[in-house]
Amino acid sequence: MLVGTASFLVVRLGLSYLALPATGVRGILTQEAIDHEQAVTEAGIVYQPVDLAERLSVAADLSDIDIKTVLYSNGRSHGAVRVEQVVGLTDIGRRDCLPLPPQFQRDERCWFGGMMLYQDQLVLILNPSWVLGELADAPSVLIGKAKQTVEATPAAIGGSC
Amino acid sequence: MLRAAREEQQVQATKRSWNIVVFSIGGMKLAARIEDVGEVLPWAATIPIPSRTPFVQAMLKRDNCVMPVYDLAARLRRVVQGDPLLCLVARHVDGPMAICIDADVPAIARADASSIRQSFERDIESLGSVTIDGNDVTIVALQRLGSAIQDTLTRYEL
Repeated sequence: MLVGTASFLVVRLGLSYLALPATGVRGILTQEAIDHEQAVTEAGIVYQPVDLAERLSVAADLSDIDIKTVLYSNGRSHGAVRVEQVVGLTDIGRRDCLPLPPQFQRDERCWFGGMMLYQDQLVLILNPSWVLGELADAPSVLIGKAKQTVEATPAAIGGSC
Repeated sequence: MLRAAREEQQVQATKRSWNIVVFSIGGMKLAARIEDVGEVLPWAATIPIPSRTPFVQAMLKRDNCVMPVYDLAARLRRVVQGDPLLCLVARHVDGPMAICIDADVPAIARADASSIRQSFERDIESLGSVTIDGNDVTIVALQRLGSAIQDTLTRYEL
């Protein structure tokens, strides 16, 4: 990885393109490899199922045979995240990570650390701590503090962007 | 000295009148101060964004620029009309924001400051209302669009 860049795994869920900081990716499993309702144990670590589509209220078709499960960990918490498609891995310059516009003022500020353009798609950068259930949605705290949150968010996602 | 006096007169005249952009959403005429409007462009496909901010649930991408979309039509319980639809770029305090408006090309008008009445339209942030062609037209405060909804939600949550 080049200095001043951050690595992301880009995935698709419904119409949304999402990115996870690649440092937390521990593996990608195919549909037939696991039972999605159950936790996944890999190399002695238990990854709890994460229903990102439900948490983001995104309409996604997770019945397809091609769906993937991303095993994700930040060292403290571990999650098995189901996605419709793994789009690719990318390194982007930190200056190409854009903050979520301040007009987005509620829970989504907790969900996303920013956004970027990848293969002409707008990709939302997920906040791993929120994905792994370490952060509760805190809209009332965030309202009116959107601008400060934009600046605080990169730290919240582990300084990855 | 004569020129200075003339310029002063022009400044006073400007203060006494507002240049406004008149546009429509679902056939409903609305207006905005011309300085609050960035540009008017053809509407383009939007990108849905998972969001719980009322009426801010998509982005518009144009070349390498992205901006949030404010669904003013949904807020006014209207459906935009015509084809092709237009995009009014609002100069919001938090940055440019796209609003989908009817296909009718917006018109520029001048409103005398004394003719602008206090608006009792509670559903939207407004700077007042003005009569245009016999119709009462709300002047939308594009710069702070969405703030009243957020204030209401904050009060509700507290």
